[in-house]
Amino acid sequence: MSWNNQGGGPWRSPGQGPWGQGPTGPQPPSDLEEWLRRLQQGLRGLTPAGGGGGAGGGGGGGRLILVFALIALVVWFALGSFYTVQPNEVGLNLVFGRYTGKTAAGLNSNWPWPIGTVIKVPVFDQQISEVGYSSEAGGGDILAESQMLTGDQNIVNVHSRVIWQIDPAHPEDFVFNILNPRETVKAVAESVTREVVGLKTIDGVLTTDRTSMEPDIQKRMQSVLNDYHSGVLVLQVQLQSVDVPAQVVSAYRDLTAAPQDKQRAINDAYSYANKVVPEAKGAASRILNDAAAYKSQTILDAQGQTQRYNYISAQYKLAPGVTRERMYLETMERVLGGMSKTILDAPGASPPVPYLALEPSPEKPAGAPK
Amino acid sequence: MRNPFNSLGILIAVVVAIVVASYTFFTVDPTEQALVLRFGQPVGDLISEPGLHVKVPFVDSAVYIDKRILALDNPRQEVLVAENLRLDVDAFVRYRIDDPLGFYRTVLTVQGANAQLSGMLNSALRNTLSDASVADIVRNKRETLMGDIRDTVKKGAERFGINVVDVRIKRADLVPENSDAVFRSMQAERQLRAAKIRAEGVQESQSITSKADRDVIVVKAQAQQQAEQIRGEGDAERNKIFADAYGADPEFFAFYRSMQAYETAFKGDTRAILSPKSDFFRYFSNPVPTPAPAATPAAP
Repeated sequence: MSWNNQGGGPWRSPGQGPWGQGPTGPQPPSDLEEWLRRLQQGLRGLTPAGGGGGAGGGGGGGRLILVFALIALVVWFALGSFYTVQPNEVGLNLVFGRYTGKTAAGLNSNWPWPIGTVIKVPVFDQQISEVGYSSEAGGGDILAESQMLTGDQNIVNVHSRVIWQIDPAHPEDFVFNILNPRETVKAVAESVTREVVGLKTIDGVLTTDRTSMEPDIQKRMQSVLNDYHSGVLVLQVQLQSVDVPAQVVSAYRDLTAAPQDKQRAINDAYSYANKVVPEAKGAASRILNDAAAYKSQTILDAQGQTQRYNYISAQYKLAPGVTRERMYLETMERVLGGMSKTILDAPGASPPVPYLALEPSPEKPAGAPK
Repeated sequence: MRNPFNSLGILIAVVVAIVVASYTFFTVDPTEQALVLRFGQPVGDLISEPGLHVKVPFVDSAVYIDKRILALDNPRQEVLVAENLRLDVDAFVRYRIDDPLGFYRTVLTVQGANAQLSGMLNSALRNTLSDASVADIVRNKRETLMGDIRDTVKKGAERFGINVVDVRIKRADLVPENSDAVFRSMQAERQLRAAKIRAEGVQESQSITSKADRDVIVVKAQAQQQAEQIRGEGDAERNKIFADAYGADPEFFAFYRSMQAYETAFKGDTRAILSPKSDFFRYFSNPVPTPAPAATPAAP
């Protein structure tokens, strides 16, 4: 069984302030009061002059000591009792090691040392704990911290930043309840970050789940730190970077490049199609125009020929015999005029003797009828 | 009135009082609790209330024991888990000394407590995690497993007067050799996906280009079909025109057309072997006409 008797709560009447309480410890109050009273009586006995008249006449050596002691006492109180609390701080008053209350920014007082002490806590400062990396010079990635397993047993590198402050409502928890609160915050941050990353898949961690992870880590951290009564307020968790490990970066880059390659192939195909099909349409219209041209040409040609024929035919009907003879001779004249000619008598006679060579034919010997 | 001895006496009395007071009074901070020992034996109750306290001077001594939540950050442990995989596990313990007397009697100091806790934590980690799979440790049962380890350590630590507030696994990562296997499988998986995406690109590209090629052929063929039709129309029209014109006098048409044909057929370098008996030479040697013209031209 535990035998600490904290039943009534450790702090007695915190509203009373440091001056109201007096330097009495909780356990031997009567002894101490008596001791003080006796001291006061002794002092009174030594100063028969009393009052604030100062050290009037030159008394004995004892009186001198007393005066010095009084002056020392006044100086001690005057210098030791007052202190300033900065705007970002809260002061914690302790009297004989006992916490008696907190003081706000400004001029405050407590018993002078060694009776009273003051602990000033920067409750409004934002503190930063880094997991997986260090922003200090020469820091960078801390592999052992940043590398973690995802739920589907892949590995990611996570750098996260926890922004927290000392809970202004409970600065005494932060100071008195926990050894090394800063390290605790960091250890909890690491543990919780891994826990949350462990719940996700690697693709989720890298993309869609990223934003939801930050408040999740914050909430879980706060709950653990509340269990410790640590007086820590987790303000924000920022995932600075979530990356795949260096060993697989190239594969990931390749994977991110793949859709672009795919798109490029598709675009190339479309640009090919966009080139070839219109060209084919152009070729088709050429074919059609060629055909139309042929049709027109053929018809016009036929019409022309028949018109010419009709004229000639009309003339022929007027004088058939003469016209026929004339046409024959004119035609033969034109035909035979442009030819090299051989005239043979009686194609059946042997041997073929040239009857008349109208024109020498150098390349082929005359004769040899077909 | 008073002799100097008197004031010297006061001085001595004050000094003695201060010395005695300093051995009689002691303060306890909010962060600590105290045991009063008389010649090594604890006397009185535990002092957990911060403030000013008294003891018997020169006989009693006060021992301070931390009241805060203390930390044990265990060094990295290699733990064998299910499927013969090895994990590097970092865990930490947060504890409080609830029974300072028990604590003082058993482990005496925080260092001593940490050594004991570290041993208990390691064996609890090994025992609890040995049957769990990596998936359980990382995802499915992390909380439960941490709770089991905490309970085990908590129970073991009771006899040291220690109350274990929390045990948490900080890191649970595969050992480097196993990590390499993970990296390899990650790499292979991404390569597979990248290859699939690229193949899809090729597939789509092929279907687009082949469709285009098909369109090209079809468009040209359709044009060709129409073109033939148009040409045919032209040819038909031509035939009709000729037939209409020449049908009136077929005999003259035959003559006329023959004349045209001779003229176009024998253009150029044509050698003709002519018989003097042909009709053309009718008047060549004999001015008396003999009708029926006939020419026998032949291409060489």
